Amino acid sequence: MNLPGIKSPVLLAGLLAVAFALPALPARKLDTTQFVIVGEGLAAGMADFQLRDVYQAASFPAVMAGVFKTAFPIPTLQSPGIGSGAPGFPVLPPRLPAQLQGTVRNDFPPNLFVFNLSVPGFKLNDSLNRRPSAPLVQSKDIQQSITNFILGYPALIAGTGLPLWTQVEYAVKMNPTLVVVELGYYDVLEPAATNNPAGLPNAATFATQYASILAKVNSTYPQIIVMTIPDPFDTAYFTPVSAASRLVGAPVSTITSLFGIGANDYLTPNGLMTVGSAIAANVARPAPLSQTPNALVTAATATAVKANLASLNAAIIAAAKVVGPNAVVYDLQAFFSAIKQTGLTAGTKTLTADYLGGFYSLDGYYPGQTGQAALANSVLGFLNTTYGKTYTPVSLTTVADSDPALRFTPTAVRPSHRSVVYRNPFTQLPDPGTPVNREELK
Amino acid sequence: MKNFLLLSLISGLCAVPLAWGSAFAINELGVRAQGMAGAFVSIADDGSAIFYNPAGLAFQKKPSMEMDSLVVVGLFRYFPTESPPGTITPDKGWSGSVKPHFIPVASLYAVKPLTDRLVVGFGGFVPFGLAANFTNFNDGDPQNTKFPGRFAGSRAAVQSYWFQPTVSYKITPNLSLGGGVAFVHTHLFLERSILNPNADGGDFGKVFASAVFPTIDPALAAASIARLLPEGRLRAAATANSPGFNLGLMYRSKSQKSSIGMAWRSAVVNHLTGKAAFAFTDTGAITPFLPASASFSKLFPNQDIRGVFTTPGTYTVGASTHALNTLLSFDFELQDFRRFKDLPINFTKTVGTATPPEQRLAFDFHNSYIYHLGLQKQVKPNLELRLGYVYDVSPVPDKSVGPLFPDANRHSLTMGFTNHRPSGIDLSFFYQAMFFADRVTDVAANAGQFTNGDYSNFAHLGGLAMSFNPSELFGKKK
Repeated sequence: MNLPGIKSPVLLAGLLAVAFALPALPARKLDTTQFVIVGEGLAAGMADFQLRDVYQAASFPAVMAGVFKTAFPIPTLQSPGIGSGAPGFPVLPPRLPAQLQGTVRNDFPPNLFVFNLSVPGFKLNDSLNRRPSAPLVQSKDIQQSITNFILGYPALIAGTGLPLWTQVEYAVKMNPTLVVVELGYYDVLEPAATNNPAGLPNAATFATQYASILAKVNSTYPQIIVMTIPDPFDTAYFTPVSAASRLVGAPVSTITSLFGIGANDYLTPNGLMTVGSAIAANVARPAPLSQTPNALVTAATATAVKANLASLNAAIIAAAKVVGPNAVVYDLQAFFSAIKQTGLTAGTKTLTADYLGGFYSLDGYYPGQTGQAALANSVLGFLNTTYGKTYTPVSLTTVADSDPALRFTPTAVRPSHRSVVYRNPFTQLPDPGTPVNREELK
Repeated sequence: MKNFLLLSLISGLCAVPLAWGSAFAINELGVRAQGMAGAFVSIADDGSAIFYNPAGLAFQKKPSMEMDSLVVVGLFRYFPTESPPGTITPDKGWSGSVKPHFIPVASLYAVKPLTDRLVVGFGGFVPFGLAANFTNFNDGDPQNTKFPGRFAGSRAAVQSYWFQPTVSYKITPNLSLGGGVAFVHTHLFLERSILNPNADGGDFGKVFASAVFPTIDPALAAASIARLLPEGRLRAAATANSPGFNLGLMYRSKSQKSSIGMAWRSAVVNHLTGKAAFAFTDTGAITPFLPASASFSKLFPNQDIRGVFTTPGTYTVGASTHALNTLLSFDFELQDFRRFKDLPINFTKTVGTATPPEQRLAFDFHNSYIYHLGLQKQVKPNLELRLGYVYDVSPVPDKSVGPLFPDANRHSLTMGFTNHRPSGIDLSFFYQAMFFADRVTDVAANAGQFTNGDYSNFAHLGGLAMSFNPSELFGKKK
């Protein structure tokens, strides 16, 4: 591959002549010069079932990098993006470039490397072992396609013999000074969202793989921020039947008896739509919800997920301790839990963790722009505390003003009657109603 | 006489390579002199007068041949204030005397009176030398095990051999003048790591910024690219042949009990020619993406180099006197290290490569001042004992303290003796304990090279000398 912009060896030599001048920079304990993220959909900026530039540029790592004022090349994908890593929803075969897409990646000529290495749908095993592979677009494997566009671009199109690194190898090769590891969420999210507790990761295997990832990442001795795994049941994807009662406008007993579900079960967005539609249409004998794909998650699954999650997070904390003092744990689970409990205020807007409550995007488990910014602020606060820094949080009010996830938030307001308040997503209407009062919502 | 001088020359050439210095000066080139702290410019009564004060030769009545050896055991320790992440500093700090642990230095002097007033001599000695070695690692070793200051230098060697024919003439019975013109052969070796992510790597990154990260602010991209480069090593070796000069003046009282002396040894501007070699690690994410025409081995080809290395001039004055059967002596010495401002290295393959026309290592030394105080007592007809003290003000400014010059002000205590053997051979010995003041540096510009920290040094010096009158010794055997 020829490096664009450097055509003359004479020019190259002249420009490189400064290479021996030695201005020195002071060393710091928390050095954000090379900030790299190893993660999955949450850190990638996945939202609304897709990975695309609108949310990628607003992902919490991108927000943090903006505050750090450091180089942070992102593999932004032209809208409508690539859909992968949204369990519980149908996966469309990759047709790339899709309508409205040109080069698929926004950066062209491309950045030679990217620092947000997060790939939606990545489990620990993928992080360790999945490599980009030709061809760039694989029509029968959307996961491989999105891996190629993030980790294998432009290596797959720039010539032969170029390295095709796994996610972890890529991170090490970037010689980072600061690494955030946000892995494990998808390992738990997928079995939870598909009501498949058998798919939960084996805790011992998970611990081994996680320790291996941290050991590899630590080979260049960066500061490592290790994130615990959020509880998927703290997200909007999982709506308890008790909460669904308010959203669909029917008592719990009606929902459970009509649809054959337990009082402690959870409705997914598919389930909410199915139940709500049936009730709105006054269907007398709807089919049991269990017959609708990815509509119901049982209480048993929730119990299994929570138990598994405790083991996995314990393994993450233990693995971080093994690395040493340069690895610190940020409690991402606690952040999600807090959002679930108290919601989020952004200026005059109040976001809840309910489905269509404003914090999460339409898929229900990946935050919108305001949610990502809030997460970034939380991590920045953690860095301030841990490293004695004074990073200034970003304005949630500003972010919320243009957040697509906040343009349709019927569950963020108190319903005055059975129908939810409709808000036209294509017009800028004033806030519908007063800020949420969670006591009233209950 | 011809054979004698030839033997001297051959012995001088075979002198073991050396390295030691106040900065890079070596003042311990006479064992008898160093027993009394080198306070010898007004005494200069043996062959080492060729080094200390050529005028002293004129007062020597017998031919002599003298071989002086010096062994240095330096204990150089460096505790960095800050190191790159992951670096594990050894419990005893980083050692600057990795290899060799013992540094040998040899000198040889020959003296031949031609008349009562005219004395000639020849000396082979090494007044400048250096052997800094912080190379505890191989290039491919993990970064956290490598000496953190390697980007400022990991190894340096200087040897400046002086081969000096000398003539000394007694102008009056009490006043003499001496001088010599030396052939000076200097060898310099320098090794350092390059493409420091905190320094020159960033400059490299600015060049690549638009190609590697076209969507990123070039200033930010440069800092990131610097961390994607391999680590390089520069090894440069060069030699020079130059003239040097040495002059001295000595006055002795009529009673011969007191004397004063002064000496000047010239600065030498060494115009070096040699080779530079580069090597790079196989790390560096950017390496496989470079076009073949811009691989690091092609950007930094091995090549001829030229350079200029200046050794300082030395000015010494001293006085001595006998009292209570004891010889007391004091010298003040100035070395104009201010001449050593920098070391420019000029590369020759600069077209189509990344090697710059010149790499100029700036040092900006100050002058050094050295105070010598010594005494000698004749305790037996065949035994002289000596004691001495030296205070040496380092010429190295804080900004230049690093792996090449881990220097500080020094206090030295010396002792020695000479035994006049019945065989006609004089055996002399000295020991010097050199205490370096602890030196802590905190220079902002050096932070990225990780040379700020605590330099804690000590050195043992010892020497053994043999001198004899060759005509007496060989005459006896005949």
